[in-house]
Amino acid sequence: MEFRGRLPEEGINVSRTHPLREALHLSAGLFLVGAVIVMLGAVLVDRIVPHIPTHWETTLFGSYGSSVAADAENGEEDAVLRASLQALVARLASHWPETPYRFRVIIVDQPEPNALAFPGGLIGVTSGLLEKVESENELAFVLGHELGHFHNRDHLRSLGRGLVLSLVLASATEGSTGNLVSLAPALAERSFARDQEREADRFGLELVYREYGHVAAAGDFFTRIHLPGTALERELVGYLSTHPVSSERIGALRVLGREQGWPDSGELRPFSR
Amino acid sequence: MDPDLIGAMLQLGLPLALLFGAYVFGNISENAHYRRLRRRERASRNFPAVTFKSIPPAWNVVNAELVTGNVVISIDHFKRFLAGLRGIFGGRLKSYESLLDRGRREAIMRVKEEARRRGAHAVINIRLESARIASSRRKGKGTTGVEVLAFGTALKLAK
Repeated sequence: MEFRGRLPEEGINVSRTHPLREALHLSAGLFLVGAVIVMLGAVLVDRIVPHIPTHWETTLFGSYGSSVAADAENGEEDAVLRASLQALVARLASHWPETPYRFRVIIVDQPEPNALAFPGGLIGVTSGLLEKVESENELAFVLGHELGHFHNRDHLRSLGRGLVLSLVLASATEGSTGNLVSLAPALAERSFARDQEREADRFGLELVYREYGHVAAAGDFFTRIHLPGTALERELVGYLSTHPVSSERIGALRVLGREQGWPDSGELRPFSR
Repeated sequence: MDPDLIGAMLQLGLPLALLFGAYVFGNISENAHYRRLRRRERASRNFPAVTFKSIPPAWNVVNAELVTGNVVISIDHFKRFLAGLRGIFGGRLKSYESLLDRGRREAIMRVKEEARRRGAHAVINIRLESARIASSRRKGKGTTGVEVLAFGTALKLAK
């Protein structure tokens, strides 16, 4: 017998697929699966949210609200302002008698004009917004708009969506990109859909009408907030990123007022800081 | 641009850049290993290393001893990532195939080299074993590398 040396056969034990190609295929597949789950989750959340009893919400998030509120309560000056905001919200909410929420207002020290609805009936108003406001009527519309988000449970929807998104991200990455996961709810929170904003506008405008008997100046705030400057500069203003301001939206407010027969002129009440 | 968005891009971009870097460096070292392997395999191709269990009767053996070749190769970040993705969908763990292929070939080369250094003429009854080196950081759940051990009986023949 004669020994004949042979070199190992290449390409049998090692697959020829390019690793980057494989990575791309698998990531795309994973992304697709994740996207489908997130979309289904969003639909599910929208279905479930209207059936969640409000007292569950207030029990779950009541303490969260008070801890934020405690942080925000700083200075005697703010307390007076807070009380007047609280009173305004209470007056607006009186036109929504079946409301299950007990609303509380906090002032967030931020230069960007913005207002936010937190689960459990907490409304955050930035100091920047209060500086820009010129009459009680326009402030009432901004607050009424936030009450509209509560009415439609939009904050719970965005919370649920954020939860689904972060769950999917967490299970896909096995927690290795923890920061991204914790960021997801914040990103999801920004995505109130256009029709959610329109519904909240409608609700807010109705509250303003019931309170003052007219809807004058309700949309003024949005016209004024059309800041001079480039689109990029405007993009930096928080209010615009969470509440897209467009002439279309202001137009829609006018049309709604006209349709409902709500007068668009009347006496404006001053707002004292 | 939105500061949150920039943050998200950084958080996504940094791991991606690391992953790509791991791919580039892993690829360079793997290709270099394959080049060295092929050169050494050509040089020792006529040295018999076979799986016979018994000594062929015609051979006049003067000495027989155990020779071993052992190698540990680390998994790179990219291969682990790819295997992790594979773990979700199932299928061939292609990213580990080249790792183990290199391990087996390197271990056999080391067996041959040891046998030669000891003046043997052939190695029979070659066997291969492989083991995973567990990751202590993840309480033994993860894998940091693979060990491949080749061993056989080196035979010195009379002239």
